[in-house]
Amino acid sequence: MCSDTLEHKFSMRRSAQVAAPLLAAAALAITTGCRKPEMQRCVDENNRVVADNFCASQPNQQQQQRPDGHGGFIFIPMLYHYYYGGWGGYGLGSTVGGGRLTPSWGRSYINSSGRTLRGGFGRSFSEGGSHFSGHAGGAGE
Amino acid sequence: MQRIPLTPREDWQQKVESAGLTFHTLENGDPYWDESAAYQFTAAEIDTLEAAGNTLQEMCLAAAQHIIDQKRYAELDIPAEAIPAIEWAWNNEPPALYGRFDLSWAGAESGHAPKLLEYNADTPTSLLEAAVIQWNWVKEMDHNKELSAFGSLDQFNSIHEKLIAKWKDIDPFLSKPIYFAALDNPEDQLTVTYLRDTAEQAGLPTLQMYMEEIGWNDEQQAFLDPNEDHMFSIFKLYPWGPCFRKSSARTPSTPTRAPAGSSPYGRCFSPTKASCPSSGSSIPTTNSCWKPTSTAPAPWQTTSANLSCPAKARTSPSSATTPPSPPPEAPTTARRSIRPSHPKQSSPKKTAIDATPSSASG
Repeated sequence: MCSDTLEHKFSMRRSAQVAAPLLAAAALAITTGCRKPEMQRCVDENNRVVADNFCASQPNQQQQQRPDGHGGFIFIPMLYHYYYGGWGGYGLGSTVGGGRLTPSWGRSYINSSGRTLRGGFGRSFSEGGSHFSGHAGGAGE
Repeated sequence: MQRIPLTPREDWQQKVESAGLTFHTLENGDPYWDESAAYQFTAAEIDTLEAAGNTLQEMCLAAAQHIIDQKRYAELDIPAEAIPAIEWAWNNEPPALYGRFDLSWAGAESGHAPKLLEYNADTPTSLLEAAVIQWNWVKEMDHNKELSAFGSLDQFNSIHEKLIAKWKDIDPFLSKPIYFAALDNPEDQLTVTYLRDTAEQAGLPTLQMYMEEIGWNDEQQAFLDPNEDHMFSIFKLYPWGPCFRKSSARTPSTPTRAPAGSSPYGRCFSPTKASCPSSGSSIPTTNSCWKPTSTAPAPWQTTSANLSCPAKARTSPSSATTPPSPPPEAPTTARRSIRPSHPKQSSPKKTAIDATPSSASG
């Protein structure tokens, strides 16, 4: 019997040692809510990004009240509002999604207007209709 | 193969979280990481699975070669604008890291060979589960009384060492730092974080970011990171399909040239050629290329099956497998150091134990 066969039959085939300190640290950051700032963008009623000054000039509420002419009020959704987190970028006219209309407790948000446009990648997954889907809304399968 | 019911470890949620698996429970409360059963394999069954993985890798490469030679892109729903990038990657063989075969098999006693359900060479997850979490489980269960009858437990899985070795192999072909990008969700982020971990342990400098943070500067014709630095090498857990759609859309916020990995000015794992074998449509293509003749065994029953379609077997092993295949310059052999994606275990006493998440990826 050759030595290769003996080694193949009797040597352990599992990893000798598995250390993943970056992974453990990242998991700890996720479970303790330590996250980097998320995007804050001003969007229109179709969730398309508009300039921040559209939102800055509006009151901080989700709906406007207007008299209906019969003693009551009709509620009109705000045309522009801030959008917190989610996918998409800062590009004017681009679509956002997967985020919230109100900021989440404990998270920080930033708006940005860099000379480099970002957000080209990443938004296809939550726009709906994509046949690419991960387990939990991700891209991995 | 034998299924062995087990009692999950106490505080298993905390244990897998501390090792890196935060997404252990599904939204409906069912466990994603399921410790209520393990699977025992004989050494011969492990050899069968390993051989199946090797054969399937060769078949997928041959199928991809056939697709490219015959230009059957439309049948795979591959957009025309992606074809030059795919052919460039196929011919130039940029570094590839890993992929995952999903197999269906009821063990040797079933009398059937393992069958391929899916080859995910584009955005494969389940990596940290297989490489890290399961290894931790095996180490702890080695002294568990429910498994004491099996002796010292083994596991057909050395993904961790193979990944580190693969990074070292492809290091000379990469610009530094290596970027890692994924969408903003725990599973994808932790998967690329683990890969980044292995790259760091191989001595490569790395940076990590979200996919949406990748910038494109039209003036510089370059991809930029959040610090406005040029990006040349990236592992992206993000499929090529939407990348091509972004490229073809030509909106101001998207690249107007082919993405990195498809051209000489960038390297991307997995390269665009992964979009061929990882397409679901390539499975029937693989079957049609490998129809056995007369009484010949089914192609996945042997590593020496011959192609019966006019596609030459590709000799480079650089396409992605899990664990990673040998370096690009290594010759192809009948038994490469690649394994089926889901780790199996074997002990010196011809037993193997395997805990698997209840929701296998794919």
